[in-house]
Formats: sequence, C-alpha cells, structure tokens
Amino acid sequence: MPWVSLLVIVPLVAAIVLALVPQHDRMLARTVALAGTGLTVAVSIVVLVLFDGGSGAFQQIDHVDWITSLGISWDLGVDGISIWLVLLTTVLFTLGVIAACQHLPERGNMFLSLLLLSEVGLLGLFTSGDLVLFYVFWEFMLIPFAFLIWTWGGDNRRRAGLTFVVYTMVGSLIMLVAIISTALIARDHLGHATFLIRDIQGVPFSGTASTLLFAGFVLAFAIKLPLWPFHGWLPLAYGEAPIVVTALMAALMSKAGVYGLLRIGVPLFPDGANTLLIPIAILALIGIVYGSLLAWRARTMRLLVGYSSLAHLGFIVLGIMVFDRMAAQGAVLQMINHGVVVAAAFTIVMMLGRGTGTEDMDRLGGLAKGAPRLAVAFLIVTMAALALPGSNAFVGEFFILGGVFRQFAWMAVIAMAGVIYAAVYMLRMYQSTMNGPVRGVADEGRATELRRGDAIVLVPLILIMFLIALWPRVFVDASAKATDQAIAPAQVVAGRPLIQIAPSAAATRELP
Amino acid sequence: MNVVVGIPLYVMSAAALLAIVSGAFTLPRDLRRLPEWIGLLGVGISLLTLIAMWDRPQSGFEGEIRLTQMSMLMSGIILVATLATIALSWGEPAGAGRRGEYIGLILAAATGMMLTVTAGDLIVMFIGIELLSVSLYILCAIEVTRERSLESGLKYLMTGAIGTAILIYGFALLYGMTGSTSLNVIGERLAEAGPLTSQPLLVAAMALVAVALGFKASAVPFHMWTPDVYEGAPTPITTFMSTGTKAAAMGAFLLVFTGAAQGAIADWRVLIGAISAASMVVGNIGALRQTSVKRMLAWSSVAQAGYLLMGVAVGTAFGAEALVYYLIAYLAMTLVAFAIVILREREVEDGDQIEAFTGYGRRRPWAGVVMTLAMLSLAGFPPLAGFIGKFMLFSAAIDSDMLWLAIVGALASAVSLVYYLRVSIVMWSPAPVRNVPERTLRVPRPVAAVAVTGGVAIIALAIWAQPVIDLCRDAGASLLP
Repeated sequence: MPWVSLLVIVPLVAAIVLALVPQHDRMLARTVALAGTGLTVAVSIVVLVLFDGGSGAFQQIDHVDWITSLGISWDLGVDGISIWLVLLTTVLFTLGVIAACQHLPERGNMFLSLLLLSEVGLLGLFTSGDLVLFYVFWEFMLIPFAFLIWTWGGDNRRRAGLTFVVYTMVGSLIMLVAIISTALIARDHLGHATFLIRDIQGVPFSGTASTLLFAGFVLAFAIKLPLWPFHGWLPLAYGEAPIVVTALMAALMSKAGVYGLLRIGVPLFPDGANTLLIPIAILALIGIVYGSLLAWRARTMRLLVGYSSLAHLGFIVLGIMVFDRMAAQGAVLQMINHGVVVAAAFTIVMMLGRGTGTEDMDRLGGLAKGAPRLAVAFLIVTMAALALPGSNAFVGEFFILGGVFRQFAWMAVIAMAGVIYAAVYMLRMYQSTMNGPVRGVADEGRATELRRGDAIVLVPLILIMFLIALWPRVFVDASAKATDQAIAPAQVVAGRPLIQIAPSAAATRELP
Repeated sequence: MNVVVGIPLYVMSAAALLAIVSGAFTLPRDLRRLPEWIGLLGVGISLLTLIAMWDRPQSGFEGEIRLTQMSMLMSGIILVATLATIALSWGEPAGAGRRGEYIGLILAAATGMMLTVTAGDLIVMFIGIELLSVSLYILCAIEVTRERSLESGLKYLMTGAIGTAILIYGFALLYGMTGSTSLNVIGERLAEAGPLTSQPLLVAAMALVAVALGFKASAVPFHMWTPDVYEGAPTPITTFMSTGTKAAAMGAFLLVFTGAAQGAIADWRVLIGAISAASMVVGNIGALRQTSVKRMLAWSSVAQAGYLLMGVAVGTAFGAEALVYYLIAYLAMTLVAFAIVILREREVEDGDQIEAFTGYGRRRPWAGVVMTLAMLSLAGFPPLAGFIGKFMLFSAAIDSDMLWLAIVGALASAVSLVYYLRVSIVMWSPAPVRNVPERTLRVPRPVAAVAVTGGVAIIALAIWAQPVIDLCRDAGASLLP
C-alpha cells in the first residue's frame, strides 16, 4: 500500500466530501471530519510502524512521474525528521477538529473542509521528496489558512489574511525561482532534468550559486517561520484567525519553514549555509530577545503565546544553523515540543476566552478559585513552555544551548536571555489570570473550568508532553540519523570535528 | 500549388459569409439561432480538419500559408476561443436583431487571427491582422445604442489605426533591409547578416514590429486602450479580444521574432524582455485599484501579455513551448472569469462591479468554485494550470540566462495576488442586504458549459500536463528550422 500517499489522499477526500455535505447537517459534517482526521492518524501510525529508524534515508517512497519532460514527479516518503512532524500534524489536526466541532461556526462543513485541506498541504509538504512537489504543497496549505482567516476571522480579517498571503507569497515565488535555478544547475551536472532532493543532494554548487540559492530558499522559510524581521504578518494573522486555526498555524505551519531549512536549505547548499550562518544566527538571536520582549508586553494572551512562538522558533533555527550535532538534534526535538506546547497553550487561551469573553489578561484574575482543574493543566503547560527542568522542552532547549555553546559561546549567552524571559512572560500570564483577586468574571470563573469536551483536547497534549519528557531518547534516536545526514555536509564545510558525544547518552544522564 | 493547406481557413471564411448572409433574411422563430449554429458548425469542421492535418505539416501558395505544428496549435487555440465566444453570446443582448452580422464578424475576426498565425509572409500576416482588427472595431461598437460600446469601438479604431501604421512601417523597413517579404527568406538573410547591431535600420524595424504587435497583445507601453475598450465592449467580445487576439498576436510574435529573426536574437531579446517586464509590472499595479471586474481583467490581461512575452524574449524552442502551454491555460482561466462576469451582468445592473459579486459564491456554489479556481490559477497557485505555465515560462527565462526577468515575474505575481484574491474573498463573504433589483436568471446552458469546462480544464491541464506539453513541444520545435 502507498501509505505515505494515503496520508495526503485521505484528508483530501474527506475535505471534498465535507464540502458536499449539506450545510445544515452539522452532525454529518462532524462525523466526516473526525473520521477523516482519525483515519489519517491511523495511516500515520502505520507509517511509523513501517519506519526503519536505523536508517537515515528517505524511505517508503511512492514515486509516480508527473511531468516527465520537466523532471517533476509525485514523490512522497518519510525520513527520521518528517516522521515525527507527520505524526504531530495528524494528531494535532484531530485534536483541532475535535475542538472546532464543539463550537462549530456558521457554515461549519466548509470550516472543517478547509481545515482538512490545510492538513493535506502540511502532510504533503513534510513528505515531499521532489522540490516542485514541495512547492506545490507549500502553496497549497496557504490558501485554506487564508480563507479560514477571511471567512471566520476577527474584525480585521480581510487585512490580516491579505497581509499573510502577500508576505508568504513574496517569499514563495522567490523560492520558486530558486527551485528552478537549482534544478537547471543540477541538470548540467547530472545530465538529466530532475527535482528530486535526493538526486540533487550530491551536486556541488559553486560558492556564489550556493549562497544565492540558499538565500532564495531561506527567504521563504524565514517568512513562514517567521524569523525576525519577517514577522510582520504574525500579529495580524495570529490575532484575527479563529483560535483553532491560530493554534495549528503556530504549532505546525511554522515548522514548515524549519523543516525546509533542515531538509532542503542546509543539506543542498552547505557552502551557502555556512556563509550565511552568522547573519541568520543573529536574526534568530534578535528574534529570541525581541519575541520575548513582545510577549512580555503583549496585551492579549493570544498575542503573548504568538510572540513567544517567535522566540522559540529563534531557538530552533539557531540550533540548526550552528551545524552542531547535539544542537540539531535538540532543534528537531524542540520542533515537536514547541508544536505540542503551543497547541496546548492556545487551547487554554481558547477556553479562557470562551469562558470569560475576553483574551485580555489584565482584565482577568483569580480564576484558579473557580476552575482548579484548569489551573493545574495551565500550570503544567506553563512549566513546559518555560522549559523547567524535567519538562519536555527542557531536554530540547538544553541540547540546543549545549550545542550552540560548544560552537559559539557568545550566542548561547544571548540565547539564555530567552530562557529567562520565558519564565517572566509565561508566569505573568499564569499569575495574572489564575492568581490574585477574582476579576472580570462572574461566579469565580466557573465557566472556564475544564470540562470533558476540553479535556479530550488538552489531556492528550499533556500526556504527549510527559511522554517526551520521560523518553526523549525514543524521539532523538529515531531522528538522529536523518538529522546527522542533514547537517553533515555543512559540518564538513564549517570544519566541525565530526566525533562528538552521543546526545542520547547525555539525555539519559540529564533526565530526572 | 497546394490548396489543401488553406482548408481550415476556407471553412471559416465560408461560415463567416454564410452567417452574414443568413442575417439578411428574416428567419422564422425556429431558425432564429441559425447564425450561431452556422458558426459552431464552421468552427467544428475547421477544428476537425486541423486535427486531421496535425501529422502532416505543409505549406502552400508559394509558402505564403504555412501549416506547421505551431500554426495548427495556435489556430486550434483561436478556434476554441471562437467557439467559447459564440457560446458566451447565447442570449446576449448585444447585437440583438443583428445576429447574422454579429456572428459573421466574430467568424471573420477568427479567420483573420488564423491567417495571422499561419502566415508565411509579411503581407499575409498584415492582411490577417487587418481582418481581425476591422472586424473587432465593429464588434466593439455593435451595441450602437449604448454610448460606452460606441466609445469602445471608436477608441479601439483610433489606437488600432496607429498600430497598423506602425506595423506596416516596420514590415516595410524589414523588406527594405532583406529584400523579401517571405518569413523564410528574411530568416535566412538575417542569419547571414550576423549581428544586427551594426545596422540600426533593422533594429528600428524590429522595434516597430514589436510595438505594433504589442498594440494587439496589449503589452506595455501600448496598452492604454485596453481598459476602456475592454470595459465598453460587449463582454463576449471582450472575452474574444483577450483570448483570440492575444493568441494571434503571440503567434505573430513567435513567427517574426523567435522564428524569422532568430539570427538577430541578440538585438531584440532585451527589447522584448523589457516590454515583458514592464507589462507585468504596470499591468499588475494597474489592476490593483480597479473596482470593475472587467477593467481589472483588462489590466490583468496586460500583465498576462507580459508573462507570455517571456516566452518570446528568450527566443528558444522551449520558450515557445512554454508560451503556448501558458496560452492554453490562460484561455481556460480567462474564459471562466468572463463567463461568470457575463452571468452576473445579466442578473444585476452594473454586474461587472466587484461589489456585485459579494456572496455570489454562496448563491451559486458552482460559479463560486470555478471563479475561485480561475482567480487562483491566474495568480499562479499550484497545482493549477496557471502555475505550470508560469513554472515553464520562468524555467525558460532562467535557462536562457534571463534570471532578472523571472524575478520580476515572480514579484509581479505576488502583487497580482491582491486583486485576484479580492474577487475570491468577496465571492464567499456574506451577502449584504441590497436594494438592487435582481433578475432571477435561468443560466443559459452554453454559458454554464463554458464556465464549467474551463474550470475542469484548469485542473486537468495541470494534472495531465504531460500530453499537452508534448503538443506544445512539437509546436515549439516546428518554429525553428
């Protein structure tokens, strides 16, 4: 069975069916959406079971020629990095659909249909082995997200959606030019037209070409991430989108940029990556500090989490760009961690917003009294978000900082500021809403208490956090080979010593 | 003398004459659609003969008419555009009472377009361009009682006349320098002559021809007439101009530049590249501020001419291949967009205004879906036909060391999103309470058929791109010796 292709086909079929479901039959729409996402989870688990973690190679490849004269093909597969992102995507979308189903907006079938279409885009993106196909899915995911913002967003939705689309498209189209240029240079070297990443990987690009092409790709990735200063669309889009969409964008769409960097940017253009190492690392560092400061001063909880995401992604980019084995593995782990944590944080924001009618944290207070169970969940998520030792994010951040320190001690020092700020802003959010005198709500905020429907979404996320915190080895080991292969060429160019302590051993030592 | 080569043209001219003659009689009610049926039949037969002759490229009349794969494919595109125009005119108020003339002139214009792209000689090409232009002057103004229609026809006539003068001047210079009007001979002479930079007169000739053809293709800086003429003309005629005329102009560009003037490529490629880049930038920026979908599509057609001209600017067979593929995709997208505008225009007053489309997708989901597809495809979103076309054009540009042109194209596309997407957003927004009277319309089947076929084609052309690209590849290869 072409299991990896099914990952894309199942949600696509479900999305088409959803679009045809009569508008008033909300129950049917819910059933189809849940069945679609649930089935996709099942497929992703099959892919995981069939996955060979001992090999770093791209595997379970489904290859069908699409446009042979141009060398474009339908080529899907997974490697140690994408397998976890695929799993994260399928699980988070299922939870997202569950959350959306409980408070389905008007024209709910279309809402769910677009949600599933964006899942198609993300899953295709994470499994593409062909550059053009990667681009196709890269763009494919944009449209449903944009329409979700336009149709169900806040008051300023038109502007938010358009800013988001135009920002992203400028980067994407430049990336398209870079993709074509890459393939044309590769064609002269290989003797045939191809866009397959694994074929292009061995092609030596000249220094200038490598730098320019890397820059072309990275611009698109940086906008999607977003990396400072390309984050202009973020406050609008995150602020105006329906919160389920915001959560999925922050948790998954941002990973598309990181994934591109790790899967295409660094392995294909090691020379260029090495040339631009310092500039990009500086942008990431600015992002860490700037994002943290914005999060600290943010007015609404939603923006706070959104800006914190800017800082966390700065960490991840830094971890990849220093070409250190430990840092890169930490970055991969942190991609998963951040996805889970940010999704959980937005879920809590959603519950608070719904129960109190506001996301403005200065108008709330003392909710722990009326909603003790929520307070517990909130505290766990807060601890994970600020990477308390023992939490899942701690392992990832520790790896990243350790690896960065080995290569560029000064970067690690600046990045540490982000860790400190994280405690400041996350605790601010927790304290101002949960502790202190009861404010802004009636009935001591019982309306916000964790109910069964919310628990179905939140508890699995918290369980995943514990799972990663207790057994990070499972994740690191399965992705280690692929990560090593991704950064190895860049390590050679940067002259890094290739023998380093095994991070998995370090992980065992650091764990509680 | 090979007379077989002209069969597709004879059929079209005969159909044009028959349709005009049929208009002279007062037809009984059962036969009131006779001109339309004559037109459909003529186009159908002409298409069939082209298909039958596909594997046997040939030339006739001392090489003045050349049916190469390129000219056959271009003729095919023009015929499909004609077919769609007749379908879109079903129930159109324009030309009511003068259906014979209306359809006959469309067929005559189509004949001119086909003559332009099958020409093996400058004179024949000129006749073709004149035939299509004169027919279209009248068609634009055919709603004689509507001021905008008259204005449109007059404006087109004025600018068109200047274009004609420039074209004939350019051809004359070309003839003077090479001593022949035959495209083949001109090609040989230019190849012998070496780089043309030393002969300013030939450069001037190329520039004048580019200007004049640019008029017809509505490329910058000769695009000023486009928005007014497009807006004023009856919408099916606008559709015809933006598909058929554009195809004919592009065919002529390919024949004269990529084909005949291949030897002098170094001299004209920057010129055409500049026209292309300017069209993309000006067209897309011009479209941003429009409130009428028709005007917006007019500016967009300026921009699209720019994308298409990338395929000419590179001067390679691959460039021509990419151009033709994009032209086919462009045909599908444009037909859909105008079909939906035509539908809306018949339902409400000022139906071409963007506000008139508010919530239209919710009322007629199929129309909303195909229009959204057309807009996304025009903007170049994958995996739609417009994307594959742009991909090929960008590839052709980069492959011929015109990276700058591809980058201009990419950035211009990003700008174009704003206005293309605005239409799609508006279509799916909640409809406001309006006091405008709506005619509830039974959608004419031919119009719906064009819209839906176009919508399907936008997806199908991308998913099964390879067979179409193979056709385009043959066409591109046939252009160069």
